[in-house]
Amino acid sequence: MQTNLLSRPTSAKSTSMSDKINHPQLCQWLESVASNRDKEAFTHLFQFFAPKILRIARGKFPNEAQANEVVQDTMSNVWRKAHLFNQEKGAATTWVYTVMRNITFDMLRKIQGNKEDNLSDDIWPIAEKMSSEAEVFDDHLEHANLLSVIEELPQAQQDVVKGFYFREMSQEQLAVHLNLPLGTVKSRLRLALGKLKVQLGEEHD
Amino acid sequence: MINHHPKFELIKAFVNGDLPASLSAGVAIHADMCPVCQQTIAQFTEQVAETSFEEEYLDRFIVDDNEALDAVAAIDFDHMIDEIVQSSDISIALPKVEKTISFDDKIYTIPTALNSMELGKHAHIGKLTRARIQLNENEIHTSLLHIQPGGGVPEHTHKGFELTVLLAGSFHDESGEYVKGDFIMLDSSHQHHPISTNGCLCYTVANDALHFTQGINKLLNPIGSFIY
Repeated sequence: MQTNLLSRPTSAKSTSMSDKINHPQLCQWLESVASNRDKEAFTHLFQFFAPKILRIARGKFPNEAQANEVVQDTMSNVWRKAHLFNQEKGAATTWVYTVMRNITFDMLRKIQGNKEDNLSDDIWPIAEKMSSEAEVFDDHLEHANLLSVIEELPQAQQDVVKGFYFREMSQEQLAVHLNLPLGTVKSRLRLALGKLKVQLGEEHD
Repeated sequence: MINHHPKFELIKAFVNGDLPASLSAGVAIHADMCPVCQQTIAQFTEQVAETSFEEEYLDRFIVDDNEALDAVAAIDFDHMIDEIVQSSDISIALPKVEKTISFDDKIYTIPTALNSMELGKHAHIGKLTRARIQLNENEIHTSLLHIQPGGGVPEHTHKGFELTVLLAGSFHDESGEYVKGDFIMLDSSHQHHPISTNGCLCYTVANDALHFTQGINKLLNPIGSFIY
């Protein structure tokens, strides 16, 4: 038996029938998905966005299966890339729109041009500066630099550092998530941070 | 200073994802170098996103209300949610890899918008070197065009359109001087003879008027009247 989303009561009134979008609420849900892998928050996001994405996609793809694919792919990306959302750089709606537009663009290109080259994220970067202020730019350089250093760590240490640093998971959460003893997580993190300090310290001299 | 920008109609189509990849990349390359257009794009994207996800706006799409509701109900959303949250993968934003290309011993950084595009072999004609970008867009041809100091393109008109985004160096024609970042869109009313005194590298998009058919009209539908 399939559930009709529209008839389901929702705890957040703002997402149901109002024309006004509750931006702080959407941001909070996205942040919650990013930092805690919060399935309930994701379900709220899904209920807000999925029916709308579906209707928009139906306007671009006459084929029902393709429109469904846009919903599926957009919402999976929201789940997997929520940590790349930065509310200081724009609204949650803008970010989800970008994800949806990019997926639609790549799919149309695949259908019309028979090319599976997925160019959209190069043309419209998902996690990129939206402002050209110097300060923001500096921060991005720093971020890119840090990332390239992290990529040089052994895979096991990378997993721990990325979880801890980018998803702000606690060591305990990481242990559960990676299915490792807490002591292992702690020692990998210590090792990795030691290496990073040396690397970044050298480059900052 | 950058003097030539995409028209707002083009920026709108860019944000909506309605332009072919060649022109989308052209706008993205320009915006990367132009804070003014970057801001216009950011603001317009925010507006489009806001209206896209408002109920009232969406109602306009609904021709037959029941049919739309059926369509929504026909997907098993619960199943989709379950499937998605089962995955523990997260996508890490990788640092941008800088790609380069060399023309006549000079090395240039390729704009990030072109990072995943396939480049063809270099073809030389006098002081011009051209590398085709393989985008499979039928009548639309996209290239990187390098002009050695003192080189130029013979006088020509455009039967369709021709976009030039200046990536490095400068050139001039009858209408004036163009610099790095300029977004130059010409149509059939233009006749020009560009010359580059000090050399330059351009990103060019042009359609072949001979094969100009309905296919392209469809592709460029939202801005058809603007370009032709």
